[in-house]
Amino acid sequence: MKIRHLVWLRRIIQTFFLCLFLFLLVESRLSQDIYVDYSIAFSADNSIRLDQPVTFFFKLNPLIGLTSLLSGHSFIPGFLWGVGVLLITIFLGRVFCSFICPFGTIHHAIGSIRPALKGDRMIQANQKTPDQKIKYFFLLFLLIGAAVGLNLSGLMDPIALLFRSMAMAVLPGLGAGLRSVFDVMANSDIKVFNLISYGAEVLLSPAFGYNVQAYQTAWFIGLVFLIILFLNRIRPRFWCRILCPLGALMGIFSRVSLLKLKKDQDKCTNCNLCVKHCQGAASPHPDQVWEAAECLACFNCHNICPEGALAFTFTRQPKLNQKPDIGRRAVLGSILAGFSVPLLGRLDGRMDKIADSRLIRPPGSLPENDFLKLCQRCGLCMKVCPTNAINPTLGEAGMAGFWTPRLIMTQGYCEYTCSLCGSVCPTGAIADITTKEKIQRPIKIGSVYVDRGRCLPWSGNAPCIVCEEVCPTSPKAIYLKKETVSRPGGKKLAVQLPFVDLKQCVGCGICENKCAVKGLPAIRTISAGESRSLENQILL
Amino acid sequence: MKFDKPITRRESIRTLLRWSGYITFAGAAQWPLYTLSDAWATETNKGFIVEGFGQTDGFSVKELTKKVFEAAGGIKRFVSRGDVVAIKPNISWARHPRFAATTHPEVLAAVIELCQEAGAKRVRIADNTIHDARQCFAITGVGKVANETGADLVYPRSSLMKKMKLKGNRLDVWRVFTPLVEADKVINLPVAKHHSLSSLTLGMKNWIGGVGGSRWSLHQDIHRSIVDLAQFFKPEVTLIDAIRIMTRNGPSGGSTDYVTFKNTLILSDDPVAADARASMLFGLKPENIGYIHLAQKAGLGTYDFSKLEKKRVVM
Repeated sequence: MKIRHLVWLRRIIQTFFLCLFLFLLVESRLSQDIYVDYSIAFSADNSIRLDQPVTFFFKLNPLIGLTSLLSGHSFIPGFLWGVGVLLITIFLGRVFCSFICPFGTIHHAIGSIRPALKGDRMIQANQKTPDQKIKYFFLLFLLIGAAVGLNLSGLMDPIALLFRSMAMAVLPGLGAGLRSVFDVMANSDIKVFNLISYGAEVLLSPAFGYNVQAYQTAWFIGLVFLIILFLNRIRPRFWCRILCPLGALMGIFSRVSLLKLKKDQDKCTNCNLCVKHCQGAASPHPDQVWEAAECLACFNCHNICPEGALAFTFTRQPKLNQKPDIGRRAVLGSILAGFSVPLLGRLDGRMDKIADSRLIRPPGSLPENDFLKLCQRCGLCMKVCPTNAINPTLGEAGMAGFWTPRLIMTQGYCEYTCSLCGSVCPTGAIADITTKEKIQRPIKIGSVYVDRGRCLPWSGNAPCIVCEEVCPTSPKAIYLKKETVSRPGGKKLAVQLPFVDLKQCVGCGICENKCAVKGLPAIRTISAGESRSLENQILL
Repeated sequence: MKFDKPITRRESIRTLLRWSGYITFAGAAQWPLYTLSDAWATETNKGFIVEGFGQTDGFSVKELTKKVFEAAGGIKRFVSRGDVVAIKPNISWARHPRFAATTHPEVLAAVIELCQEAGAKRVRIADNTIHDARQCFAITGVGKVANETGADLVYPRSSLMKKMKLKGNRLDVWRVFTPLVEADKVINLPVAKHHSLSSLTLGMKNWIGGVGGSRWSLHQDIHRSIVDLAQFFKPEVTLIDAIRIMTRNGPSGGSTDYVTFKNTLILSDDPVAADARASMLFGLKPENIGYIHLAQKAGLGTYDFSKLEKKRVVM
């Protein structure tokens, strides 16, 4: 195979995996089209599940597998995919970065379709710099932190980061914009506009959500994403070279890679084309020593060299490549940070002392400590939640739990017959429970209480039974008592007063969601009573 | 009229008198028309009520549904060739049909098939559900019915909720689920079940699933709200599914302990009569149910069955 073909093969594979990623991203939803086979859910009491293997890229990602193993002492489902990727890295170097990684592909496209730098400035930007050590610092920090007990890898893992950014910020943002256009069209009096808007909505809502999707801190997730994309203007593939911890892991493994760049110094005319097109700043120039750990194996230098001075070849000799430039300071710094951040994360007491009443975890979540050891903050559970209840936390889970999932009941509620979030969790931080289990055990995520001062019948303002009506448990966790209360004017009013039976309540929050009292609902959900915790309980 | 000079008192009185004269005359001219149309209405407005009852074990719900329509004069009486028909079942809750919280899927399937036989251009299933619509479609069996019959299952998206004037006593401007008002013919297909506030959920209360917005506040004056909705939505016919009814812990239920089999279907073009007959299955008196009583007072129908043409189908 000629090298030119290999470069095209790379581009095709890159496009394929990017499309696959986007496809699985869009498929991470409860479909509403009527072409799906409903008979399963209908005939037996089986749980509704997604058709596509939406966690594929998370399985493929050895960093997620490794940190989960270090912190949670468990192999994630499908971790062998990740092992396979590492094996490929041992043979071929960082091909994952340039062939498979969808985030890498996005950077690659941004950097090469319209390069921000021209000529010598590009050559300058593509020289290897000491900054490239930073990614090893992040990698070691994340690994040590995970071993000590706090798994933060999802904050920086490229797959988790990309998924979170796309699902929480990019798609909902585009969706909100499109929806506002459709709403204007749908409300116009011109029939054609109505039809177009309905049609467009039907076509696009699978990708952008069936309703307006909102996520706490989504603006910040989007901002981080935009900044990371912008960094490509300073240096191509800034993220991959300098920040990506997964790239660092692959870099360490490519020390023994058998695919090596062979340089012929005599043929070199010093045109610097190889440096200009280098994706990884891996010193492809024949005067320099090739940095295997930085090389993304994109084959650009091999392809571009007009003199044939550069060639990727397999060598059988067991000769080690150039050592990854980790640096002592990065190691020391990462050890310090890796040990101290998990401890700092405990100082707000969220993990040990006080459970935040607002921290309602998805059904099937592990106890808080184990949860934080496994949660990648990837946002899959949030994307898949059909009511948009699951949101990234801000401070509710403390610093250690930033961007982990939490249910906001004024925004959605936990559907009684749904257990999708657990079925898609790539690491098992939310256990894959069946709907039957969820109902029969039952799995409680919290409990509710009535705010009598705000409640319409309790305060004598109006009769209302909405919370009791929507309560899904059987027998109902909210029951009514007939009573006569006095209206604000003093007249008598016959009402039914709602009471909560804490034994029955599962904390699904539909009562809070549907409560007629807006603003601060008159019935509210708190995390106390969640079955995953031994301590955070109310009843004996 | 000239405005460049001030109007004198005499002039203004004269103008006022003249205009009130025009209006009175125009109003009076309308009078014979109104009385005429009223007279026509009462002549043809002899409503009917058909009750289907499945006596034998394992009778076909589908067959019973079709027979009930036959007894009422056939589906062609309600649906013409080329019509867009909207069916409003009650599929508010993501519950299996055995819990009686939602319309029986076989009844729904039978009605869709009848409409298709009558030559309906399109049959749409539309309900603004309480639980997430996708879950409801899957678990209540409606999704399967739509799949098999080819009817459209309308997802209650926000752009389909349009502000409309209900012109009710209690409700003025409200968001309405448009497929239910844009269709040529509407068929109301509720399930009969207990409700903790309005005592029963039947046909007229089913229209709460036809509006959007902050409909939870409707519960603060539920009976009058239901009557307002019932005078806004005017179905061709109401078919109440009382094959099995939920007798307590409604409207969502969730246990077969609350379910009683009645094997009954009630079809009527009078929404009040249909609800009244169904309420009797629960051992209640129609006049004791707030919205049925108010609806008769508002002239939406009657629960005096002697005024109706009555039929009974037994299988």
